[in-house]
Amino acid sequence: MFAIAILASFLAGVTIVVSRIINANLAQKIGLLQGTFFNYIVGLIFAFFFLIINKEPLRITNHSLGSIPVWAYFGGLFGVVVVMLQSYISHKIPSFNLTLLIFIGQLFMGIAIDYFTLHQLSIGKVIGGIFVLAGLIYNLILDQKKNEEILE
Amino acid sequence: MNNILSLSIGALISIMIAINGVLSSSIGNYQSVVIIHIVGFITMILVLILNKARINFSKDIPLYLYSAGAIGVFTVLFNNIGFSVLGVSMPLALGLLGQSLTSIIIDHFGWLGMKVVKFDIKKSFGLLLITSGIIIMTIF
Repeated sequence: MFAIAILASFLAGVTIVVSRIINANLAQKIGLLQGTFFNYIVGLIFAFFFLIINKEPLRITNHSLGSIPVWAYFGGLFGVVVVMLQSYISHKIPSFNLTLLIFIGQLFMGIAIDYFTLHQLSIGKVIGGIFVLAGLIYNLILDQKKNEEILE
Repeated sequence: MNNILSLSIGALISIMIAINGVLSSSIGNYQSVVIIHIVGFITMILVLILNKARINFSKDIPLYLYSAGAIGVFTVLFNNIGFSVLGVSMPLALGLLGQSLTSIIIDHFGWLGMKVVKFDIKKSFGLLLITSGIIIMTIF
């Protein structure tokens, strides 16, 4: 199970990048809004399928739905914006740069959310994040030098 | 400009994960994925109506282009397996490793229509910094 979990976590990362680029390719063919629409309709069908085969005990009742704060349902809205922005940007910068920039944005917003909601500040995450940022900036500077050489 | 937009996508993802986390801890992983997709689907219908955009299912393009939504659900499935066995930090680090290697390979070979960006050996130092950062985050 341990090995499967390691492989699954790795594949989660692989699928994030592949679906991001495929969505961008679909958007180029049929339009940004239309592409995002199909992302959600296909996703919904598969989400239903996995819900059925996983036999997760149904906890959606009037009581449970009422006790959840309304804003908890708005994650899907953020998802729509994220899918659209990713489709827009995916062919404008290298995939690896996009991966790292998204990660850094995610990390520092995550640190801020933890700080304001849980009043916790993870020093390890801050220091680790600075290392990732430094590595990205180093590679971006290399890219820029290379571009300048090509122009010269 | 593109870099700033990319950073904001990451920030939005963090807010989204925090919100979706509240939902999935109240009603379960798979039920929350269905609800998240229903909300996204309704949002898209409204956006399309407001923009008076037309939907055509084009048969002239390869079918796999429609698969991204399905692949996204697999991401959730893989994450659920990872988090349930390994805790929080390990799956995050492994997921980022998966994203990085996939991106480097796709850029290098120009797969899926991406512009070819050959891997530059000089970037190894940057990669070393990035890897150490991830290790520091996972350990602490």
